Amino acid sequence: MNHAIISCLHANLPAVEAVLNDIDKQGIDTITCLGDLVGYGPQPNEVVELIRKRGIATCQGCWDEDIIDGLNACECSYPSQLAERRGHLAHQWTDDQLTDENKSFLASLPTSLRRDRLLFVHGSPNSQHEYLLPDMDAFAALERVETAGADILFCGHTHQPYVRELRDGSIRVRLQNAEHGNDQGEELTLPMRKIVNAGSVGEPRHGSTNATYVIHNDATDEVEIKEVAYDVGRTCQAIVEAGLPKVFAWRLSHGFEFAEQAEDASHVCER
Amino acid sequence: MIERWALVSGLRGDLETYDLVQRDLKKTRGVTALFVLGDLVGPERNCDALLDRLRNPHRGDLKPDCIYGWWEEQLLAERGFRGERKADALRLSQGEDAVSALLNAVNPSHLKWLASLQFGFIELDCALIHGSSSDVGDNLTSETSPLILLDRLTRLNVNRLFTARSTKQFHLELTGGGINSQVKDLNGKREQQQEVPKRSVIGIGAGLNYTLYDIGSDKTHFLTAGSKTNPKGKGFV
Ligand SMILES: [Zn+2]
Ligand SMILES: [Zn+2]
Repeated sequence: MNHAIISCLHANLPAVEAVLNDIDKQGIDTITCLGDLVGYGPQPNEVVELIRKRGIATCQGCWDEDIIDGLNACECSYPSQLAERRGHLAHQWTDDQLTDENKSFLASLPTSLRRDRLLFVHGSPNSQHEYLLPDMDAFAALERVETAGADILFCGHTHQPYVRELRDGSIRVRLQNAEHGNDQGEELTLPMRKIVNAGSVGEPRHGSTNATYVIHNDATDEVEIKEVAYDVGRTCQAIVEAGLPKVFAWRLSHGFEFAEQAEDASHVCER
Repeated sequence: MIERWALVSGLRGDLETYDLVQRDLKKTRGVTALFVLGDLVGPERNCDALLDRLRNPHRGDLKPDCIYGWWEEQLLAERGFRGERKADALRLSQGEDAVSALLNAVNPSHLKWLASLQFGFIELDCALIHGSSSDVGDNLTSETSPLILLDRLTRLNVNRLFTARSTKQFHLELTGGGINSQVKDLNGKREQQQEVPKRSVIGIGAGLNYTLYDIGSDKTHFLTAGSKTNPKGKGFV
């Protein structure tokens, strides 16, 4: 059976509508959302209400968490100080706009969802703020999936969709200075695991302006990365009208986040 | 000339044990540093005398460099040095009595100093931490999955991780292996191969059981303070 995974909607209603439309057209009715319903974009209430109305299973994103808990994450949530200042502005604006009801919905979201061997999280099983980038250390990537007890880990947060297969892994170890003479050593064979990043519906950073999401077939484990065009102009105009930083509109119309890649993606906030 | 570190943990207020370690070290060649990897305090006895000695070494003592461990974390949390967090882990595992015993074991005059201790040291290409970079309570042993051990080394980007939380003594080397990965994105597919780096995790023991590490030869020696017949201690005296 095919099911769809969406992430990082970021209050971009036209993009969310276009993606849901695309999923509906294919007759897929199981959708899982990996959080970041709000932040950056101009229609937080509308997006949250649409997700609630459609009853889409959702886990909590980094923005959803920060709106509830306040911005007490360390500056590591942002790739640069400039990004941090803009982020704070967007945070304040979103905080002012969101209704109490929608805030309590965001507060009620779980940090992970599990269906058999599939695990759904926003950033990583460790934290909503940890970036699992496509080229991160392969053993560390495998450790995230394995420690969480999953076969396939679905995540978002990087806004770049990818499918990563980790296979043929092994680690040889030897005890030095063992109690009973020299240890011969042993080899651990590592299991095959997958990480699927759903990209971003509302704030893509993969190089094009299209929204992205993924479809997974749970019988064959095939994963397809989908791109959907939407009315970017409509969202950009709403961003400017809302008084949000213009750079968010500029970014959407260019399809990448200019010079705002995380410097140390492996850093986990330890607040 | 040989240059070696001494690594101690889990003293938990036991000045007598510390004294035995110091006496051992006086008789050992080449020890240039003494690292105390946390758990200076504990609930079993009054810890003030040991803390005084660590803070004001006797003449002839090898000067100790201390970091904090799981017990300090519990004490500092309960005393309000960790924001909202209290000694929840201790309360959960050993109950309210253990929490009060811990509070009673340490004079508040030591709290500021304990709170100033670091989480860990990076020396050369080695990390010295009570648990691991993941958590001060991370309980790493030679039985821990090598995948997790490798992850803890990778997070710090060091070749050796000295850890104390498990109280066990071991020296586990990652000697080989690898992994293939394939990334598919909207630009296509790419393959990557990665090898296991030659790295190791060393459990330094606790209390009387301490470790000497020879920097030049990357050799560990697991010793017991005060024991006359240290099986692997030959040649140190
Ligand atoms: Zn996001
Ligand atoms: Zn995020």
